[in-house]
Amino acid sequence: MTGSLFVESIGFGLVTASILALASVGFTLQFGVSNILNLAYGDLMTASAFAGYAVNHAGGSIPESLAAGAGFCALASMLLNRYVYRPFVRHGTKLFGMVVVTLAVGIILQNILLGAYGATFFSYSFSTGRQVHILGMVFDTSQLMIIGLSVVVMILVQLLLTRTRLGKAMRATAANPSLAQASGIATDQVTDLAWLISGALCGLAGVVLVLNTSAFQSTTGNDFLVVIVAAAILGGVGNPTGAMLASIVLGVVTEVAAGFLTPSFKEIIAFGVLVVVLLFRPTGIFGQGATVKEIPA
Amino acid sequence: MRSHAIHANTWTRKAAILAVSSLLLGLAACGSHSSTSGSSGSSDSSGSSGTGPLTFAVFNPFSGPDASFGPEQLAGCIPAAAAINAAGGILAHKKIVCKTSDSRGDPADAVPAAEQLIATTSSLVGVLGPSSDEASATVPLFNRARIPMFGDTGQAVFNQSSFKYFYRITPPDDAVGYAMAVYAHQKGYPTAAAVFGNDISSQGSLPTVVSGFTKIGGKIVLVQKIPLDQSSYRTEVAALIAAHPSVIFTEADPQTSATYFAEVKQLGHLGPFIGTDGTTQPPWLKAVGNAVGAPNLQRYYVGAQPYAPTTGVPYQLWLAQIKAVNGQVSQPASQWYSDSYSMAAWDSINLMALAMVAAKSTDPGVFRPWIVKLATPSPGAVFVHDFAQGKTALEQGKTIQYVGATGDISFDQWQNSPGAFAIVSSDGSTQVATYTSAQISAAK
Repeated sequence: MTGSLFVESIGFGLVTASILALASVGFTLQFGVSNILNLAYGDLMTASAFAGYAVNHAGGSIPESLAAGAGFCALASMLLNRYVYRPFVRHGTKLFGMVVVTLAVGIILQNILLGAYGATFFSYSFSTGRQVHILGMVFDTSQLMIIGLSVVVMILVQLLLTRTRLGKAMRATAANPSLAQASGIATDQVTDLAWLISGALCGLAGVVLVLNTSAFQSTTGNDFLVVIVAAAILGGVGNPTGAMLASIVLGVVTEVAAGFLTPSFKEIIAFGVLVVVLLFRPTGIFGQGATVKEIPA
Repeated sequence: MRSHAIHANTWTRKAAILAVSSLLLGLAACGSHSSTSGSSGSSDSSGSSGTGPLTFAVFNPFSGPDASFGPEQLAGCIPAAAAINAAGGILAHKKIVCKTSDSRGDPADAVPAAEQLIATTSSLVGVLGPSSDEASATVPLFNRARIPMFGDTGQAVFNQSSFKYFYRITPPDDAVGYAMAVYAHQKGYPTAAAVFGNDISSQGSLPTVVSGFTKIGGKIVLVQKIPLDQSSYRTEVAALIAAHPSVIFTEADPQTSATYFAEVKQLGHLGPFIGTDGTTQPPWLKAVGNAVGAPNLQRYYVGAQPYAPTTGVPYQLWLAQIKAVNGQVSQPASQWYSDSYSMAAWDSINLMALAMVAAKSTDPGVFRPWIVKLATPSPGAVFVHDFAQGKTALEQGKTIQYVGATGDISFDQWQNSPGAFAIVSSDGSTQVATYTSAQISAAK
């Protein structure tokens, strides 16, 4: 691997990391607040991509498609949690049972999309723009937009969680829902808001993912789920900051591995890193741990 | 978010275990969802021994990355079944139906789907499939159940297989690789890169395109086996550009190829690329065409696929029969008119049906040997090109030789009939070059 390819691969890794960060932060946020490992997340990303595609296909711009994807997924996620997941929790479904429920929702959603759109591929109409060289790295304008969007969203999420009353309420709900409720926090509303926000991130991730892949179908988001879960675990489950940083690690490592070794090894290297880190640091690179608790009903 | 640490290690371990368990569960769940009933109707209750409908199953992917394979096979089955029904059926069975069974392109899903198909379809007399995705896992199952199958798998492992009920009238993947190499050589490309998905389905042609191109004087400057459905292949593309190939040999699923070649284009290095028959499918052409732009696809892309003549009496019969069921096949129906795999599927059904008529039995154990006999030249044999012609001739006591839409079928001792190849343009059907098996052999 030449030096220039190494530098370029870091740049390409940052693009991958940006998409992954949007997705994994949303995923880990849901888990943090609700204790639900939402394996329908990838399929919700795909559904958002189709929502954005509908807008784009009708002549909408990419920002409008992003807004449509985010809005659709925010609402869908919030409703999904309120009317599907939460009733299961209230009926006593435990952690592992909820995993199966989310898996079922994902399969149903995927098949609905397959039935609605068929087994074919779709592409957004947009220009990737001109090439930009930064410190030896090569980007096109659309990729810089993805990186910029991700950075802005990550900053906003960080500010939300650390500097606002809502963020504190979310953290309190995540840490101890019963105590939060006893302290006057409307945990149901807080959870709804958390799912709205994480759903918006999921929707943004779905649209930027398919912008980057150039073509997508009913399974595209689900194909990306494993690496999203990996980033969430590597960052410390339920820790959005950790997920952001883990996304950068995974994004860059996979791209450098693709250039340095054979591309077939890129996922092996990424998951090798995950396994090694969890062996020595079971809370993830940036995880500070959490309480063991059941899903708050 | 979780900043208040109590029992930290236990918690994250549990989450990690849950995640892994969930993913495994996901695989298991997907595996249990595999079978579906056919678009042209199906009825399984009567069995093949009475007078009820006989069932031909299309066992192929109808979902997943290779979801285009199933409709392609079904587009051969439906017109064949309709024409057989119009000709009065097979022996006492007046009705033939096509039944779909979705393998999802994954052995884990395909095995239970095949088992379910065999167990629940007593009238099953033949199978179109399996494809490369699931053939290794499911051919033994159909063989054990004594169900004749016409595989659309290209895996070289079936070039000399011992499965008595396995037939193939489409060329193996390794022959596709040689055809691609011959075409690249003929076009004068001195160097090539091979970019293939790292799945079983995409890997079939890789060894022979590399060895064939090298043997006839070309130089392979890069071989990339890329993981499927990644969000980006920029690093791989940068390595490709650094290798300066004059042509790219390729196969991967549509999304992977679309992402890859879109990034080649974005980096300003889109050049000639030659795909396998897996790339001549409408979903691949649509996905990659959208990604690189239709004019670029037209300018730079060709694909190698089994040759099927688009003139002559057998082709006209096929065309008339597929047009007669236009509304029943995946739309647009015109995409199948010159699709060699759909034509091969039509031939396969006709051959199996005629074998039953010739053997006067719908028992696969009895009619199976007739499949080869009816395609083999014999003195005084009457050439027939569809079921109706063959049935009439057989009822008149004549010896027949079936020559179908894909041309002469010449089975070897392993019941393979490798044919010629065509190089087609970006519409998936316009032939820009054709090669006989002898010409392809030059690269072996």
